[in-house]
Amino acid sequence: MNEAASLDELASTRLAQFPIFLHANGFSVGAGDGMQVLRVASQVGVLDPDMLRWSLRALLCGRAEEWRRFDKLFDAWFLPANQWQRPEKLDTHKGFLSGEQPLGPPSARERDDETLEEIRPRQAASRQARESSTDFRELMQREHLLEVEALVRRFARQLRYIRLRREARARHGRRLDLPGTIRRSVASGGTPFQLQWKDRRRVRPRLVLLIDVSRSMVQYSFFYLRLARALAAEMPDVHSYIFHTHITSVSQALNDPDPARAQERLHVLAEGWAGGTRIGESLAQFNREHAARIVNSRTGVVILSDGYDTGEPAVLAGTLAQLQRRARRLVWLNPLMNQPGYEPISQGMQAALPHLDLLAPAGDLDSLKAVLPRLIEALG
Amino acid sequence: MTGRAEELAAWQQELARAGYIAEPGLVAALLLMQELQRPLLLEGDAGVGKTEVAKVLAALRHTRLIRLQCYEGLYAHAAMYEWNYQRQLLAIKLLEHDERGMAQKEQDIFSERYLLKRPLLEAITCEQPPVLLIDEVDRADEAFEAYLLELLSDFQLSIPELGTVQATSRPLVIITSNGTRELSDALRRRCLYQYIDYPDYDKELAIVRARAPEVPALLARQIVAFVQGARRLELQKKPGIAETLDWTAALLRLDISVIEKDGAERIMQTLGTLIKTRDDHVTLTREVVARLAAAC
Repeated sequence: MNEAASLDELASTRLAQFPIFLHANGFSVGAGDGMQVLRVASQVGVLDPDMLRWSLRALLCGRAEEWRRFDKLFDAWFLPANQWQRPEKLDTHKGFLSGEQPLGPPSARERDDETLEEIRPRQAASRQARESSTDFRELMQREHLLEVEALVRRFARQLRYIRLRREARARHGRRLDLPGTIRRSVASGGTPFQLQWKDRRRVRPRLVLLIDVSRSMVQYSFFYLRLARALAAEMPDVHSYIFHTHITSVSQALNDPDPARAQERLHVLAEGWAGGTRIGESLAQFNREHAARIVNSRTGVVILSDGYDTGEPAVLAGTLAQLQRRARRLVWLNPLMNQPGYEPISQGMQAALPHLDLLAPAGDLDSLKAVLPRLIEALG
Repeated sequence: MTGRAEELAAWQQELARAGYIAEPGLVAALLLMQELQRPLLLEGDAGVGKTEVAKVLAALRHTRLIRLQCYEGLYAHAAMYEWNYQRQLLAIKLLEHDERGMAQKEQDIFSERYLLKRPLLEAITCEQPPVLLIDEVDRADEAFEAYLLELLSDFQLSIPELGTVQATSRPLVIITSNGTRELSDALRRRCLYQYIDYPDYDKELAIVRARAPEVPALLARQIVAFVQGARRLELQKKPGIAETLDWTAALLRLDISVIEKDGAERIMQTLGTLIKTRDDHVTLTREVVARLAAAC
């Protein structure tokens, strides 16, 4: 009987620690969820693992990405006896149980039928993808940071005043807020002496940043990531992605209020950092996996890349055309354009040119400042 | 514990009888949301049956479904309540020669008679707990989300002229999101979460069977295999379950009883129900259709 009691205690400790384990693996849950877990467990029972799994999954997941990783983490925590470890020995820094995007072998289907290829990109086949991860410490260094942030704040403030053309046209006539007017007229016995006007709604464009982090861009990508971080802090609707041979969202990592943890998370995401470039295929992956959700008719897409592409130019042209149709504006900022005598003659740039609303230099702070008015004009 | 499993199986059958094929995980979440009285946040691509969950839940519980469709620019008042200004105005005119005092008149004008209930107020003042469906919450802006959070935590609404309205019953809240905007962590934490993926072959077959029982078994299997194949293509807009059912109806209408490789021409005529963008139409050439059909 004593045994049963201690088993019970053990089980509830295990259960209560589960949210902490998930937290270490990047879930947005806290230790406070332990109570909820115990409550749910007592409701559904602990003897049916599937029932417990489904219930805890509904309770503790908050987004699709967590949803996909949950089962593995659940198994690791509850199922195999050999993974039993004392919770306090859990190393939070090595908690990334599931490596982001496992490199599966190209599926057999891909080989015998081109059109029926798997939706997942062929990450394993990337020509120059590098395993090593690059140090992001520079991202958080204070030099430049203040200057970038000042610039970005100004940029964001200016963006705030961009109204899409639709609203701008409506400026000619203010619109009457009828309920409001009548509401006011109650004070004067129902005679509308004072008119109430509708607020003009400002629609701010959403920004999507696609940052090239391949080897040729290595001097600039740190700078651009700083820019992205500062921009995301200033504006509510900024989405950032990095790409080299495939594309990965970094918005969440960049938005992490704890700089050290932001760095940690970027480390994990940066697998293949500073390897080869396949712009066309990365953007095609973006179109496939993210564009439908992220890019709408008031989205400005900004590509930050030097345009050196080892993929097919035709692929790049096709995907850019698709992206341009979906987005409001498509802007390409090229750091190499700062160099004297640079002409956009690389195959990639040649393929891209017809589909861009703006191609501008952005190699350093000064050129970024210079390009700002044009960028705002293009986005507005 | 077996009781729990039986309850789940029973619910699953009930849902199936009402025409909704659900995975046990979803059923477990539905049971849990009723016990914990927490909202359920459903995410997934368009056309995987998120909205349908709310409808079928309302049907099973024999209760009302109150739906709030979110859109860009939705402001809190449109979702909660509005005063019926026109009627109030008339009342003011009529009360002009009334003997009663000012305060009395005002109380009269701002009484419940002149209150127009919008979905959120309606949902918390029902006699029977209804199912409140907040559809595509990601389309509304953050400010609205904050309002919603307040309502979902306290289940009370304050109307300045009238006072605080307490919930007479707690609605079952189902929130859906297509993920066009990242929802706040606060909202996510307050909700149970369920991600709904495209159905696999067996589930989709069961759905087609349930929703279109008149389809011959062979054709149903072929339809599902074809759609599953089409989803593996690189399409801009993958066909959802609604598209599968539309296509099924279209095939029946054209008296196509079997999908064959040689029948690609006729299949092409019906693809408008399955494929919804021009680019995807270009992708699905006759050869591709023939190959998909042959694989069925």
